This record gives sequence, structure tokens and C-alpha cells, in this order.
Amino acid sequence: MSEANYRLVRGLLLAFLGLWLLLTLFPFYWQIITALKDAAETNRTVPTFWPDVWHPRNFKLVFAEASNFQALVDSFIVATGNTLASLVLGTLAGYAFARFPRQAGGENLAFWILSNRMFPPVAVLIPMFFLFDATPWGTDSHLSLIILYLVFNMPLATWLMMVFFRDAPRELEEAAYLDGYPPLRAFFKVTLPLVLPGMISVAMLCWIFAWNEYLFANLFVGTEVKTFTIVIPTFTHGSQTLWNLQMAFSLIAMLPPLVLFVLLRRYMVRGLSLGVVKG
Amino acid sequence: MPPAEVRSGTAGAGAGAPSGQQAPAALPEWFTSKKTRPNLIVSRWVPLALVGAPVLVLFAIVVYPTVWMFYHAFQNTNIMRLFRGNWSYVGWENFETVLTSERFWDSVQHLVQYLVFGACLQVLLATVLALTLYEVVKRDWVRVLFLIILVLPMMLPPSIVGVLWKFLLTPSNGAINAALLELGLISEHIEWFNAGMSLWSIIIADVWNWTALPLLIIYSGRVSLPPAVYEAARVDGAGGWLVLRRITLPMLKEVIAIAFIIRFMDAFKFVDLVYVMTSGGPAQTSELPTYIAFQRGIREFEVGEAAAYAIIIFAFSAILITLFLRYLKKVLKAQGIA
Repeated sequence: MSEANYRLVRGLLLAFLGLWLLLTLFPFYWQIITALKDAAETNRTVPTFWPDVWHPRNFKLVFAEASNFQALVDSFIVATGNTLASLVLGTLAGYAFARFPRQAGGENLAFWILSNRMFPPVAVLIPMFFLFDATPWGTDSHLSLIILYLVFNMPLATWLMMVFFRDAPRELEEAAYLDGYPPLRAFFKVTLPLVLPGMISVAMLCWIFAWNEYLFANLFVGTEVKTFTIVIPTFTHGSQTLWNLQMAFSLIAMLPPLVLFVLLRRYMVRGLSLGVVKG
Repeated sequence: MPPAEVRSGTAGAGAGAPSGQQAPAALPEWFTSKKTRPNLIVSRWVPLALVGAPVLVLFAIVVYPTVWMFYHAFQNTNIMRLFRGNWSYVGWENFETVLTSERFWDSVQHLVQYLVFGACLQVLLATVLALTLYEVVKRDWVRVLFLIILVLPMMLPPSIVGVLWKFLLTPSNGAINAALLELGLISEHIEWFNAGMSLWSIIIADVWNWTALPLLIIYSGRVSLPPAVYEAARVDGAGGWLVLRRITLPMLKEVIAIAFIIRFMDAFKFVDLVYVMTSGGPAQTSELPTYIAFQRGIREFEVGEAAAYAIIIFAFSAILITLFLRYLKKVLKAQGIA
């Protein structure tokens, strides 16, 4: 291919990339300006691409209904509870896999744990619905979601912590033993601080996945507990959908994962490609 | 958790204050030992206990329900019989019901459509975009900025994605129709949520949402290719096209395959946008097998039939996942990671 042709192809590719960036950003733009319109303007027959009247009060109006704020609280409780549980279990198992691979069951067991993340949850959710129904706390509770989200978050935490522990130099731990540290102390004083950055990023990842989860919450909770993900699709007033309030609320709700993502984008590829993000 | 007895294992090193003259410096045997020995209780049981907790949890929340599912796929269970405990064995009847129903085969067709135009398109787009981003964009901070923008949609909860696209695609006064009219690409509103169109709407939203995942995987694969190879190609005078065809793509083969399989496996779980955007409608034209399984099981309480659906989906993904893990192990081994 000649040089001129090559340059043309590069130009076309660059244009395509630019176009794709615009297409990626457009829904966000639309979301933001809709959140700043008043209700009448969102329902015009010809939509406006720039608000006629700015209406930032939407962000306050959303919380006029107390249940909306409560939904964020519920989501926070579930996400945080699940993150803590996944992290504790995942750290211990990850340590065992990294330091004592043979005694801990070897890579086949590690791969089996990971594979739990990849299976479609359909075979798990339907039985779990009836099982939780028979427990004292029922399906419609924080606890049921905290336990359910372990299905996808714990394998991830285990696998990533295994990788981080493996990367941490074993020599430092050996040195601690030579200095007479008992194992627990060596673990908490030497090994754990080494993997702490990794652990924080695992926690953030798990938290994002639990915060964003929709399918499990949709099927299991809804009366006593409402996560924001199941509240957002139901923003209606009579037969009319309150698009501006809905967009304002979703902007608020998606802020935490976006901030966390920008903070930990370095770990994102690893975490995401390990499998299959959807719960 | 390591029990207190493990202290005895460190006796050789002494438990006193760490200092230089503590002789002779020896690692506790349970730590260095590669073999499991009967006298080293710790080396055998502590790792097992550590791994045991998550494995037990997984047994409780994944394995047990799956077995339950397999059992009920062969029973005539529904909600009444489930609570009375009087379901009975019906053999393959549930599978027969599923495999002879039009609803199931329609949903399989939808799944294939989603795989071809959703998953495949995403990987194709992702390959082009990732390589363009790496090869053509030269400044580092621009690349990082572009990557962050491209990945943003992936961080949104599926319910927000669904609602947002439902809003964008509103036929009468949605932004997409308005923009297309303004640009003169269409002459009348497209009815995005009519029969035949609603599945495409879901696919569009999904492409917007998930193209970034294969993109990230392929991009990071390209970053880790050794620059020396490209240096050699440049010295030999190979042009950009030749380098792409003979070096970059062959070396990225595995990475692209992994990205592809991951999207493929995701397709069998994919259902949340169906719930948010169309609820399978209109007239069941955007249903996927997973969606029907949930509807039959948890909404209509036909547990036996739902179990049959679940088993069929489960079997398909089990095959895919086994292949994927085998492939992944091979690739990781080849790169010396695992």
C-alpha cells in the first residue's frame, strides 16, 4: 500500500475514533441537560438540545421523596456489607493459594472458584429465591442481597488477592519469621501491608459491582428494601415519566462508581477481564 | 485463620525480641516445607481452613442451588406443590415442554441475533478502536483521556443504561430520532420499541455499554507486545499495513480470542437490559432464554419448567467456560504468569 493511501487510512481511522468518542459522550450529555430542564420541557414534541430554562432545583426535588434517599442508603448498606465479606474471605483464601498452592488445593480449585463468577446466575437465583423465602429474614432484606452478591464478588476477590499475594516478595515474610515473629503477626505486620494497595482496589471493584447490581435486586427485593437500581426505572407520576428527576437521580447515583473508577483505572483491566462483570 | 499452636513451629527461631545474635537463624519448617508431613499440623490444615471458608460459602450459595435445580428439572414442581412438598417425578417432561415450545426457539433466535450483532460487532469495533487508539494517537495523556471516556459507560449500573437509552430512543420525542431527523438521515420517526425493532434497541444500548470491555482487553494486550519486534520490522522496511497483518494481529490472536469468549459467555447472562427496556415485549419479541427462565420461575412459579430452562442454559455455558478456562490456562502458561 502506498504512503498516501496509508495516510488516508490513518485519517479515516482517527475520524472513526473521534465519532465513537462523540457517540459515547452524547448519552451523558443528554442525561445532564435533561436533569437541568423542567418537566414541561422534557415532554415537548421536539426535544431541545440546550435547555431553554435552567432548572437545577431538580437535584433537590429528587430528595423531596424520602424513599429516594433511603434507596441510596439501602444500596450503600448492601454494597459495603458485601464488600467486607468478600474481602475477608477472598484475602484469606488468596493468601493460602499464593503461599501454599499445593496444600490449598492447587490451581484447579482456584480456577473452580473463578469459574463460579462466569456461570449465568439463572441456575442459582431461582432456587435461592425459594430458599431465602424459608429463612427468617426472607428474600426482601439487606442480608439476602449481601449473601447473594458473594456469588460474583467473592471469586473475584479471591483470584485478585491471590495474584497480589504472589507478587508480594516472599523474602520479607521469611525475614519476619527469622526475626521470630509468630505467623499471625508476620501476616498482619509484614505481608498484609505489602498487598494493601491491591486490597483497596479489590474492595473498590467489589463495591462498584455490588452498588451497580440490578438483576438480583430486581428479583429479590422491592418492598422492605429498595436499592436505587430498582427505584430508577420506576420514576413515574401518574402515566407520565418524570424524565428530568429520573436523570437527576441517576446522575447522583452513578457518581460514586465513576469517581472510584477514575481512582483505580490501573486495576480495572485486570479486574474486569477476569471475568465477566455482570452478576 | 492460623490457630495459636503455630507458635510452636517457630520455636527454633526464638520468640524473643528480634536481634542479630539470635543463632542459628532458621525458617520454621512448616513455612519452607514443600511437602505435607503428618507432624506439621499447621502446614496441612491452615491452608485448607483458609481456602475452606470460601469454598463452603460457594457450596452453600452456588453448588447446592444448582443441584436443587437439577433435581427439580425432573419434577412437576410449582409453587403449590413446593410448599406442600408433594411434587413427583415426571422424567424428561419439562425438557419436552421447553424444547417443543415456540417461545423457547424464538428466544434462541433472539440470542443468536444478539450474539452476532451484539457480541461479534463489539469485538470487531473494539479491535479497530483499540489499535487506532494505540497506533494513531501519539500523545500519552490524550490516550489516557480517550480511554477513560470510552470506559465510562461500563461503570454505569445496567438500570441507568436501560433507562437512559429508553429515554434517548423514545419514538415520538426522543433525542436519537430528533438528531437523525435534523441530520436528514431519516424522514420519519423510527418506532424503536415496536415488534422486530425492540431487540435492536437493546443491542444498540448494549454495544454502547460494553464495547469498552473488549477494547480494554485488546488495548492492554497491544501495550504489552514487545517493542523490539516492531523495531526489527521498521529496520527491515516493513510498511504499516504489513506490520499490522503480519505482526500485530497474529500476536494479538489470543487476546482477541479471550475478549471474544468473555463477551460470548456474558451473552448467556445478559438479561438486565431486557428487564429495564422492554420486559421482553412487545409480544415476546425481545425475550432471551434467561429472561423466560426467570419469568417462569420467580414470577409465574412454574419451578420445574424454569429449572429445565436453567439447565439448558447452564449446560451451554458450562461447555463454553470449560473451553475458556482451558484456553486461558494455556495462554497464561505460555506467558509464564500461572
